[in-house]
Amino acid sequence: MRRNTIMLRALPMFFLWLTRAASGQQPPDAAHNEVVIKNAIVMTVTHGNLKNGSVYVKDGRIAAVGESVNAPASATVIDAGGKYLTPGIIDSHSHIALDDDVNEATSPVTPQMMMIDAFDYQDKAIYRALAGGVTTSLLLHGSANMIGGQAIVIKHKYGARRDAMLFPGAPRSIKFASGENPKRVYGSRNELPSTRMGNFAVQRDALVQAQDYMRSWDDYNAKVKRGDKDATAPKHDLKLEALADVLRGKLMVQIHCYRADEFLNEIAMAKEFGYHIRAFHHALEAYKVPEKLAAENIGIATFADWWGYKQEAWDAIPWNAVMSMRKGVRVAIKSDSDDFARRLNQEAAKTMHYGGATEEEALKMITLNAAWIVGVDNKVGSIEVGKDADLVLWDGYPLSSAAVPNKVWIDGDVYFDRSLPGYGMPHYTEGQ
Amino acid sequence: MKKQGSGHRSQVPGKFCAATVAAVVTLLLWISAVSFAQQQPMVLKGGKLLTVSHGVIDNGVLVMQGGKISALGAASSVKIPNDAKVIDVSGMTVYPGLIDSETSLGLTEISAENMTNDRIELSDEIMPHMHVYDAFHAESELIPVTRLNGITNAIVAPDSEDTLPGQDSFVQLAGPSAADMLLVRDIAMPLNFTGAQRRNESREKRKFPETRMGMASQLRQAFLDAQDYQQKAADYEKKKADAERDKKPLPTTPKRDLKLEALLPYLQGKKPVVLAAEGPSDLETAVRLAQEFNLKIVLNHVSHSRPVLDYIASLKVPVIVGPIYENPKEYERYDAVYSLPAELHKRGVKMAFASFDAHNSRNLPYQAGFAVGFGLPTDEALKAITLNAAEIWGVADQLGSLDPGKTANVVVANGDPLDVKTDVKHVFIAGQEIPLVSRQTRLRDEYSTK
Repeated sequence: MRRNTIMLRALPMFFLWLTRAASGQQPPDAAHNEVVIKNAIVMTVTHGNLKNGSVYVKDGRIAAVGESVNAPASATVIDAGGKYLTPGIIDSHSHIALDDDVNEATSPVTPQMMMIDAFDYQDKAIYRALAGGVTTSLLLHGSANMIGGQAIVIKHKYGARRDAMLFPGAPRSIKFASGENPKRVYGSRNELPSTRMGNFAVQRDALVQAQDYMRSWDDYNAKVKRGDKDATAPKHDLKLEALADVLRGKLMVQIHCYRADEFLNEIAMAKEFGYHIRAFHHALEAYKVPEKLAAENIGIATFADWWGYKQEAWDAIPWNAVMSMRKGVRVAIKSDSDDFARRLNQEAAKTMHYGGATEEEALKMITLNAAWIVGVDNKVGSIEVGKDADLVLWDGYPLSSAAVPNKVWIDGDVYFDRSLPGYGMPHYTEGQ
Repeated sequence: MKKQGSGHRSQVPGKFCAATVAAVVTLLLWISAVSFAQQQPMVLKGGKLLTVSHGVIDNGVLVMQGGKISALGAASSVKIPNDAKVIDVSGMTVYPGLIDSETSLGLTEISAENMTNDRIELSDEIMPHMHVYDAFHAESELIPVTRLNGITNAIVAPDSEDTLPGQDSFVQLAGPSAADMLLVRDIAMPLNFTGAQRRNESREKRKFPETRMGMASQLRQAFLDAQDYQQKAADYEKKKADAERDKKPLPTTPKRDLKLEALLPYLQGKKPVVLAAEGPSDLETAVRLAQEFNLKIVLNHVSHSRPVLDYIASLKVPVIVGPIYENPKEYERYDAVYSLPAELHKRGVKMAFASFDAHNSRNLPYQAGFAVGFGLPTDEALKAITLNAAEIWGVADQLGSLDPGKTANVVVANGDPLDVKTDVKHVFIAGQEIPLVSRQTRLRDEYSTK
C-alpha cells in the first residue's frame, strides 16, 4: 500500500528536480495577434453560457464576447468545433514553484519572508497545472508559523522569464496559520507555541509590537511634518514593518484555519487590531458557522472532499463548500497540492455532486471566487470584455471526470496545446 | 452488538447460525444479527443495467434473493417474486458494487494520529507474517464513507515501505463483524521494489538495506530460506512416516518459523505476489527476481514504465495501474501517467484500478473516469473497478458483474458510474440495502437543521 495521503498539506512538498531546462525559454510573441475563437460553448461565469459563442481577443485582453463578434479580417480565427471554453482556472492556495522553501519554520512569526525570493519559475509543476487549465496561482508561505510570509501571484506562462510570470498589479497577501501545524512544529521542539493558547498569544504579542512600531513611526513622521529637526527616526524592522502593513490594511490576510472555534478567535483578533481577514484557507468546518463568516465578508478556499488526514480535518464533510455558499460565504476550491492543481475542474464538479451546486456555482469556485480571494477578480475569473484573455478550451464537459484541456491561453497567447508533441508547449522546449 | 450512533453495522447482512443460541438473553443479543441476512426478495425495476459481463440492458429488472442476484434481464423476461420489495429505479443506472484493488481501509482512522494507524510494521523489511486481518477495524468511520460512493469490496494492504510488508485481505465493506467482512484472508502478498524501501532516510538512521542491491539480496535470501524450510519440513514428514512405519522413535519436530512459513504458499505459486515497481529498471529487476522463484505475479503501479509497455504486455500478467494522480517525472509529458491505462489496454493487458488510499477510496470511480478522458474506453474503465478486479483476485465467481448466482452487491446511481457529478442512490451488499449514512452525513444533517 503506497501512502497517498499528504498529512500536512501546507508543509513542504517533496519534489525531485531531475531535469531543469536551464536555458529552454523562448519569449512569447511580442506582438499579440488578434484572435477570434468561434463556435465554442462559452461559459462566461458571469453571464451564463453562449451556445454558439465567439470570443475576440486583442492585445491580450477580451475585446468582445457574443454569438457573433466584430473583429478585423486579419484576426486569426480558431474554430472551437463546439467545445467548451471557460476562463482560466485560478488556484487560490498553492505552494508549487518554491523548491521546498515553503516554511521558514524557525520562528512562529515571519511576516518579512517574501515568497518571491524562493520563486522557482522553472518548476515543471507550473506546467502540469497549466495543462490542467490553471492560469493564475497564489503562492503562499506554509502553515508552520502563526504569521508566515508574503505571497506572490503568478500567471502560468511556463517558458517565460521570472518577471513575466508575475501577475501585474496583483495585491499583496500575507499568510497566517492556526491550529495543529504551528503547535506541532514548535511544540515538538518544546518551544512556544505548543497549544492553541500559545498560538494566539504569539499572534497577539506580535500584533501588539506592530502597533507600537507603527505608532513610533507615525509619531516620528508627524514630528518631521511639523518641522521638528530633533526628531530621530525609529529603527527599521522588516518584521514589524510587514505587520504594520497588515494593520494599515495594505496586506490581505489569508489564514490557514480548520476549526469553527478558531475562525471565531481569528475574527475577534482581527477586530481587536483593526485588520480584515480576506479568506480562511482549508476552512473545513466553515459549514458549522457560515453566517459568522458571511457577516464579515470572509471568503473560504477549501478542499472539495479531502478529510481525515489529521485531527482538525476529522469533521470535514464534502458538503462544506455548498452549505457555506448557501449561507452567503464566497467559496473557492483550491489545490494546496501539485496534484490537485492539475484537476481542479473535477474537484469543483464534486460540489455539484455533494450539495447540488449549479454548473455556474461550481465553475465560480475555481474562477471568479478564487480570483476574489487572490484580489484579482477585476482582471480575471470570467469571460468578460476588458478582462485578461486567460482561457481554456476543453475536450469534454469541463465539470466531469473525463474533461481534458485542449488549449490554454494566457494574456491572449497559447501556452499549452494538447495537440503539440513533446510537452505541448509553444513557448518551451526542453534543454535548449 | 449494538453500536449507538454509528449505524453502519446494525443494518448489514451476514451469515448467522441460530442453532447455537440457547438462552433468552443470548437470543435477544442476536436478534439484530438475524435481521442482517436478506429476508425479503428485492427487485430493482426499470433501470439501465450495466452488467459488465454481457452488455447493457435498458429498462431492466434485477432480482436479489437470499443475498444473491437470482435473476436479471429485460422487464418482460423476468418474473418478479410475489413477496418482493420492488424499487422503481427508472432513469437510474444499476451496476455491480465497485472493487478497490488496494486500500488501507480498516488500518487507519486519522492519518496524523499514530494510535489510529496500523498500516505497516517497520521494524524489519521482511514481514510476510503480518496479516492485515489482525488489525482490520470493521467499525472504522471510513468504511460507510466509502460505501456511499458505491464501493462494496476492497483489497486491504499494508503500506509499502517494506519489501515484504505482510499479506493482503479481500474485504466486503459491510457485515456484522470483522470476521464476516474479511471474505478472503491472506489473499495475496505485496512485494515492493520502488526504492522507497531502502533504509537510507538519514545518515544517523541508515542501515541495511540502504540500496536496491541490499533489498534484492535480502529478498533472495528470504525466499532461499523459505525453500530450505520447506525442504526441511518435507524431510521431517518423510522421516516421521518412516519412523511410524518402522515403529521407531519419532524425529524431533522442526521449529516453526512464522516468517518462512508465510512465504510458502507464494513460493508454491498458490497465491499471487503483488509486485510493486514504478520505473523500468526496478520493474525488470523485481520481475527477474520473481521469475527466479517462479512466483505468480500481479504487477502494481508501473507508473513511470512507458518505455517498456510492450515488455509488460509480454509478461501476460494483470496490472494494478496507478494511482492515475501520480505526478509524472520531470522528463515526462504531463499526461504520461494519465494515459497509461489506455496504453496498457491497447496492448491487451488486463488491469484494475485502485485508490491506494483509505479516506479517498470513495474517489475510485473518478480515477477510472479520468482514464476515459485520456483514451480508455468507458466499458473497460468500469471493468477495471469491477470484473477485472474480481478476476485478478479470484473472486469472479461471486463478484464483479451482474449475473445470476453472484453475491448481490449492487449499486444504483443517477448517471454514469464514473462521473464525479453522479450521486449514488442505493447500495446493496449481499442483497441488503445499506443505509446511505456515515459520520459525514450525520454532521451534514446536524448542521443543516441548525
